[in-house]
Formats: sequence, C-alpha cells, structure tokens
Amino acid sequence: MSGIDIHQLAAAYALDAVDERERAEFEAHYPTCPVCRPEVAGFRETLSQVAASVAVPPPTSLKTSVMDEIGTTRQLSPLLPDSVVNLAAHRQRRQTMQRALTVAAALLLIATGAFIVGRRSTGDDYAKAAAAVIDRPDTRITTLDGTGSGSFRVAWSPSAGRIVVMGDGLADPGTGKAYELWLVDDSGAHAVRLLDKAKGQKVRRVVPINGSPKQWAITVEPEGGVDKATGPIIFSGAV
Amino acid sequence: MLRSALRRRGSDEQADDDLKDPLGTLLGRAGRGDQAAFADLYDALAPLLYGLVLKVVRDPAQSEEVTQEAFVELWRLAPRYDTSRGSVRSWAATIAHRRAIDRVRSEQSARDRAEREAQKRPIHYEDVAEHVVANIDGTRVRKALERLTEIQRQAVELAYFGGHSYREVALLLDVAEGTIKTRIRDGMIRLRDELGVAT
Repeated sequence: MSGIDIHQLAAAYALDAVDERERAEFEAHYPTCPVCRPEVAGFRETLSQVAASVAVPPPTSLKTSVMDEIGTTRQLSPLLPDSVVNLAAHRQRRQTMQRALTVAAALLLIATGAFIVGRRSTGDDYAKAAAAVIDRPDTRITTLDGTGSGSFRVAWSPSAGRIVVMGDGLADPGTGKAYELWLVDDSGAHAVRLLDKAKGQKVRRVVPINGSPKQWAITVEPEGGVDKATGPIIFSGAV
Repeated sequence: MLRSALRRRGSDEQADDDLKDPLGTLLGRAGRGDQAAFADLYDALAPLLYGLVLKVVRDPAQSEEVTQEAFVELWRLAPRYDTSRGSVRSWAATIAHRRAIDRVRSEQSARDRAEREAQKRPIHYEDVAEHVVANIDGTRVRKALERLTEIQRQAVELAYFGGHSYREVALLLDVAEGTIKTRIRDGMIRLRDELGVAT
C-alpha cells in the first residue's frame, strides 16, 4: 500500500470495513498521523450516533450475565499489558533493585549465539522487501504491548523466513542506546536485531529470521548490541 | 491521556469532566474496579450496544452473546480508556461493532458471503436501511443519511450494518474497489458534517 493510499483508509477503517492486513497497517499508522487520527475519532463519533439510531434494549437477563462475568474477569493494568511475558515487568516495578536480573531470569533472555544481522533496507528497498513479507498468506502480525511511548508491530512470514518490524511514535532510546528485538521460543530468547536509534521516532526493518518465535520482545541496549538482554522489556507480544 | 490522568487526581477536575462526558466518570470508577459504577454504565450503554450488534449479527441469541463479550471487553479495558480518543459512547460502540464484525466474519469466509448475496440481487436496500426510528436520534440520523448520495449511503450502510468490507461492498454494488473507497470516505465526511460532529 502506498503512503498516499493509507490516508484514504480512515473511513473504511472506522467502519471496520478493511481486511486484517489493512487493519494492522492502518493501526500502525494512524495513532501518530496528524491527519488520520482526528479523522478516525470524528468518524467514530459519527458512527456512534448512527448506532444510537438503531438502539434496542436487550433482554433484562443480559445484565445479570454481564455482571456475573465481570465479577470474575480481571481488568488490565492501566500501564502494563496483561501478557505473560510482562508478568516479569509487573514484578520488576516492585523490585527495582533487582530489575535487570529479574527480567532476564523471568524471560529467559539467554542468547544462544543466533545473532542475525539483517541488511539495511530503506525507502523503496524497504517497501518492496516489506511487501514481499506482508503479502504472504502465512504472515502473522503481532502488535507488541509496551510500557514505553509508541508501538511496535512485527509481521512474520514463516515461508519467507523474514519479519517486518514496524515501530512508530517511539521515544529516543537515549545517547549510545538502541532498541533491540528478541525472538522468544521454547529454548529461550535470541537476539534478532539491533534496530535504528529511532531518532525519527520510526523504525522500519525487514530482517531474516530462523526458528519459530513464540513471543517478540524489545529492550533498550547499548548501541553496539548485546547477545544477552540487560535492559527491561519495554514491548512484548505473543505470536 | 492528560485528562484521564487529571481525572484520577481530584474532584474538581472530575466535575469538569462530568460536564464533557458524564459516562467518563462512571468509566473512570469502573476502571478502578467499581462494579456498581459499571452496572450504571451498562444501563446507559446497553440499548446502544445491543441494538448495534443486533443490526449486524441479526440473530438475537448470538447478539446477546456478542453484546456480553463487548461489555466484558469494556470492563477489561476500562483502566486504559483515554478521553483524548473520543467519548465513551463512541469507544463502546467501536468495541461492540468490532466484536459483531468478528462474529459475522468468523462464521464463514467473507468472500463467500458477499458472493452469495451478490447472486441474490437486486438487493433490497430498504432492508439494510430500515432504521428503527423510534427516537430523536433516529430522525436526525435518517435525515443526515438522506443527504448522502444513493451510492454513498448504500456503501456506508452495507459496511456498517451489513458488516461487509469495502471490497465486498464494491462487489455488492458492482463498483470498482477504488471507487467504493472514495464513496465511503466522501459519505462518512458528509455524514459527519451533517451530524455536526466536531473534528
């Protein structure tokens, strides 16, 4: 999808009239787009009025069922996502003294030497390479939840043996630091790729990978990259 | 984000928020685990969400299930509600609509459904457009919809109430995909302006 096209999707997206891939792409785009973000909000307000025009009271028994179910349903934390990998991060907030150790242990961020360096890809090269991954029928897109600002998405095509990493609205990781992506599988966590310093708040990478990821995780590490995580997990998501 | 942060701080800001979106206060309390507040929120939102889901899903029993899923989702996500992203009603309708769409699309391949319906043409748009005009909202919305061109209105309604993707809408209306994207966008802009939604 071209850069011009994506702005045209706000209405169709607000109507839930896009396919999975377009939804994923648009969701990676619009929260930080000064044009699309207010447009989506305006369309959603509009649609809630359209919805109100067909309002129908549900059967009274529904309230009992809803209240019963929420009584046994845990709410998400306002800051941290409710994913398994981030249980460690919850704990870590309370145990700041053992921050690095706790996270590393809990997440089994043990590098196994599978440090794969992807080729630099920018501009058209990126678009072409990304499309070749995203267009595959087996591509799975994971949105990583995080405590930092911005968002990361990872699109993985097993048949292509590649991933597309998309980060948006990211904070500068700091002088001499960079985001690092980890592939977490049954045997532990493997350093995949040191990402851009994200000065432009944006990361776009196509990276070859081996293996079968269960989770993706992102930490901030020294600029040269490390093969064993030292920083806390700031984004993660189950594949 | 800022406002939701302020809400947690004190009653002055909270009173201020009440004026902007009274449901925001209830949702704020629900987000801190207050089930009584959530029960009030349910009362305020149930006809909106159930009516919308019913319109998309059609089957009453399934619509109840989907509405319940949507409310449980609202409960789970309540601590993360961000006032800068829109009103509570808009947020809730977004979640319920997404759930309803997931339900109808998981039932069978979307493409199959569109093709089957396309074969049943001519489509009776009145069925899709048939609104329960039992309130002022209904009249306003119907009037606003009438200001759209025929194809804009059909496209928006087939997408929103029919649960069709824009590609399916293109198939149903026998119009090119690129054209339908534009019609949907133009229709939504028109509708937004007719309904006086601030941008």
